[in-house]
Amino acid sequence: MCQKHSEISQNPSHFEGSAEEFKIASTVQANYTDYIKGMKFFDPHIHMTSRTTDDYTALIDAGVVAIIEPAFWLGQPRTGLSSFKDYFSSLVGWERFRSSQFGIKHYCTIGLNSREANNEALAEQVMEILPIFLYKEGVVGVGEIGFDDQTAAEEKYYRLQLELAKEANLPVQVHTPHRDKKRGTELSMSIALEHGIDPGMVIIDHNNEETVESVLEKGFWAAFTIYPFTKMGNERMVEIVKKYGSERIMVNSAADWGISDPLAVPKTAALMKIKGISDEDIRLVTYQNAIDAFAQSGQINAIDFESPMEVDQNLKFNGNTVLRGGQIPRVEKNSIIIS
Amino acid sequence: MDYSSLLFDRIQSQASAKELSWIESKANGSLQSLQTAFVAAPRFISKEFVQYPEPINGVSFNNWTFDRLVRVYLLSKFNSSDKDSYIKAIDTLFDTAENNEAVALISTLPFLAYPDYWMLRATNAVRSNIGPVFDAIAFQNPFPKNLFSELAWNQMVLKCIFNDKPIHKIEGVLDRANAELAHSISYLAHERWSAGRTIPAYAWRLVINFLNEEILKDIQYLFSSSSVHDRIAATLVCIATDFPGAKEELKKHRDLELKAKTDVFSWEGLEN
Ligand SMILES: [Zn+2]
Repeated sequence: MCQKHSEISQNPSHFEGSAEEFKIASTVQANYTDYIKGMKFFDPHIHMTSRTTDDYTALIDAGVVAIIEPAFWLGQPRTGLSSFKDYFSSLVGWERFRSSQFGIKHYCTIGLNSREANNEALAEQVMEILPIFLYKEGVVGVGEIGFDDQTAAEEKYYRLQLELAKEANLPVQVHTPHRDKKRGTELSMSIALEHGIDPGMVIIDHNNEETVESVLEKGFWAAFTIYPFTKMGNERMVEIVKKYGSERIMVNSAADWGISDPLAVPKTAALMKIKGISDEDIRLVTYQNAIDAFAQSGQINAIDFESPMEVDQNLKFNGNTVLRGGQIPRVEKNSIIIS
Repeated sequence: MDYSSLLFDRIQSQASAKELSWIESKANGSLQSLQTAFVAAPRFISKEFVQYPEPINGVSFNNWTFDRLVRVYLLSKFNSSDKDSYIKAIDTLFDTAENNEAVALISTLPFLAYPDYWMLRATNAVRSNIGPVFDAIAFQNPFPKNLFSELAWNQMVLKCIFNDKPIHKIEGVLDRANAELAHSISYLAHERWSAGRTIPAYAWRLVINFLNEEILKDIQYLFSSSSVHDRIAATLVCIATDFPGAKEELKKHRDLELKAKTDVFSWEGLEN
């Protein structure tokens, strides 16, 4: 989620690397997967509800074996409680099943997003149903919550949800605002600390060069969203890992209904590899750190995705199920014949 | 019949001391605490397979995880004396169910009070695109056999055939075979054949008592099929049916008939 279209033009992507890096960026394109052969990835922030089956196929092909889908807003405001309930249900139901059909383990975080926190009458009702969902299997945190416009209502529901997280002993996935990010990030962290939450249980998302230092220094996890045009490009990400190392840093795509790239995590890994970052550091920021952070929920069992997904015949669904024989049926994109 | 205590006996034979004490601490709670326990069960109960799958109340437990059995037990403990609150508590669980919860809820239908009330939940499970949810109503579950209308029943069986699912696992699949279903199977087969595909051979078992001139043509077609499964199915149908034309047809395939009659071929061999 996370930005308005107007912000795309306000925040154009801009290349700040060396001439040599520019050359790499423009020549290493199609075959980036050659650099990450055999690597596994965990994308801790991706909104598959907004994506197609082509994306699932591309994800598993690129080595993304597990994902977290945070609850967010769908691009337009919901008008009633039932839409929230059905959305949360779909995150632990249909979307989870859809993902399993591609051999990808799907987790989610559940929460009231900051934008819709501003509809207080509805927010009150949503708060009442959140506990039902937070204790479900595969719910690995409260999220994504935090600030957007940094209003009083946003703060109120952020605080209430921090308490829910504390009670359920779940990690918190914190969305930080696009505008006035530094202030919003600092505020999010200080409120979490004020509520007595262990910073090791909080993942601060959508960081940039301006926010990362303070986040790491205070003991929080720092997540970086690689998102075209806004937020971070992945060349900047490489520089951050060079500078801060790999401890408590993780990368995500936050791919959603906007112009975004679901392959941001494997692509960033490839770029890190090209630029000489060690395999171990790549593994930490594109896989292991996210697992360590969210496994504190007690809801991640790495066995579920570490060995190649078994063909579970109970999951087999119809004549062309993706799991038949463990092979995902390919739609041959260039063929005019559909069979 | 107190199925709760039978379920509990089954659980007791497998649970660890720790699991058992958690289950006992929850089993006699209020509706609300049972609701919470139902959701939280996997945090306290293992996902080992159920060791003794023999049926209780017509529900058998092959390939069930232990937490699913415990969830069914917890639901069977809901106090049903106040119909409204009982139904409301279970409806809430349905409306917010995670996939494994949905599977447990559907598996519990034969144990719930007010069986007619749950009909839409059952037929919606048949409509579900989530494989395990569909399987929970279709297989090892006597609810459809006992309560589905012919229309709903046929819908479920056809969806199984359509999706290459193992129809022999449907409770009552032979008992509830009917003429309308036989006609639909024939029709589905024609569609598949036009597309150069087949239906699972076992499905032909359901036409045995409803053979007519039209379906006999399908059987003749099966005898000419390149698939040995199709030819076996055709043979078994002709042996089992009373339809005269089929007996005539069988005479042309003495070799197959002999193998079927000496149990080299059987419907069990065609289970998928
Ligand atoms: Zn997001």
